[in-house]
Amino acid sequence: MNMPQLPMPPARPEGRLLDVRLSLLDRQVLDVGDEPVGVVDDVEFDDAGDGVLAPGTPPPQLRNLVHGPILLERIFGGRRPRAHFDRIPWSAVAELGSAVRLAVEASAVPVGWLEGWLATNVIRRIPGGRHVPR
Amino acid sequence: MTRIFAVALGILTAIGGFLDIGDMVTNAVVGSRFGLSLAWVVVVGVGGICVFAHMAGKVAAVSGRATFEVIRERLGPRLAVANLGASFAINLLTLTAEVGGVALALQLASSVHYLAWVPLAALAVWFVIWRVRFQLMENVTGLVGLLLIGFAVAFFLLGPDWNELGRQVMQVLPSSESPFTYWFYAVALFGAALTPYEVFFFSSGAVEEGWTTKDLAESRANVLVGFPLGGILSIAIAGCAAIVLLPAGIEVTTLSQVVLPVQEAGGRLLLAVAILGIVAATFGAALETTLSAGYTLAQFFGWTWGKFRAPAAAARFHVTMAICLIIGLGVLATGADPIMVTEISVVFSAAALPLTYLPILIVANDPDYMGSHVNGRWLNAIGQVYLAVILVVSVAAIPLLVITGVGQ
Repeated sequence: MNMPQLPMPPARPEGRLLDVRLSLLDRQVLDVGDEPVGVVDDVEFDDAGDGVLAPGTPPPQLRNLVHGPILLERIFGGRRPRAHFDRIPWSAVAELGSAVRLAVEASAVPVGWLEGWLATNVIRRIPGGRHVPR
Repeated sequence: MTRIFAVALGILTAIGGFLDIGDMVTNAVVGSRFGLSLAWVVVVGVGGICVFAHMAGKVAAVSGRATFEVIRERLGPRLAVANLGASFAINLLTLTAEVGGVALALQLASSVHYLAWVPLAALAVWFVIWRVRFQLMENVTGLVGLLLIGFAVAFFLLGPDWNELGRQVMQVLPSSESPFTYWFYAVALFGAALTPYEVFFFSSGAVEEGWTTKDLAESRANVLVGFPLGGILSIAIAGCAAIVLLPAGIEVTTLSQVVLPVQEAGGRLLLAVAILGIVAATFGAALETTLSAGYTLAQFFGWTWGKFRAPAAAARFHVTMAICLIIGLGVLATGADPIMVTEISVVFSAAALPLTYLPILIVANDPDYMGSHVNGRWLNAIGQVYLAVILVVSVAAIPLLVITGVGQ
């Protein structure tokens, strides 16, 4: 029987091998001051075109963590326009552990509008809303 | 004094979480119908909550991750959203029952109808969450809740017939009730002991207090003091009912019947002590369930949360809790019986247990999270045995609810 010759797997790259699904997706994201930013709801790689890579092209790289409403697509399926992604660039990631720590402040990455709107229009208007409970 | 307060989180979790309105009512109902023949379930339940609260506290102290963050991370978004839906709904049901419980206890103390107390109770819960520091909240409710020891005092003052009680303890399946009803109440007691919000609250409380690996001993002390204390008081409530209500043929349907034996044993003074204890315990539980509503949602979505932040820095967290309190108020305003709400909520909570406790067991073994503090062999063995029990209970809960018509 004539077995088709399978290509050899590429040499394992230097550095730490990471299972994205196990160690990245659904982890909490903290900013440089340990403030919660969100959860890694999805990840974005280089566009691989129609999904088939021509031989010799470098493998797609992880570019961004995506968070926010994209969670809905992970649960229910569907696809939103790429322009609507709330992206945290991979270059902003400082450390991976039980949470993903960023090297930047929370204000430097896009976050949903709801928190700010509720804080301004509801919480801050109630007496005591701006003070830490004592 | 600091050493006493050091176990305050455990005592509040135990007094407000273990001994909430669901536990008090279920234990009194069980005592009045089955005597002490279901006391073994409380012992098994205390063991279970100790094991899993200990693991959840340990995960939070070592990794800084609270339980629902762990659930989301391990189960993935789909299963976690199912757990979130179930836990959140049960928690809302429990919250409603606890606010109603505070109002019922205040009715006992004041003879003013409980519906008049409901808005005040809800407002007080909101105010404490809005303005009062976490440590102060847990110390005050935990210490006042200790007055529930009044039930243990009443138990001894009643001069129990030890032979009769001993016979009841040994008698699994009394012949006077159908086995389905017996097992229904076994499941309800187990569910009341392991209600998931206890671990949500305990682990998030550990983050609120900024626990680290240095606090692991304190975490263990909290668990080992708090929950067994709650268990002893639970059995005391069941015992009081078994001594006074069982021979008289009174089945518990109201909170005033729960405290009837206390009045008989110690008069109005002891009754006042027990009622104050009930107010504090249900109030504590109302705080815990309200906070847990915020904790679970915030941790699932990665919002900022916690009482150590100003409300403006955790706006979605605070708005969630306020909305939950308003929904609870609305349900109670329809005249729904808080005792009935309680009994249903503990059974549904028994059905939803595995989705919460499995991820805790997995992560407590993950060196990524725990480093050198992963579970030892014995803790894992016990955890796995309990997980098997939890699975059986969760499968049996809803069928038993239907077959017995909520334990009739």
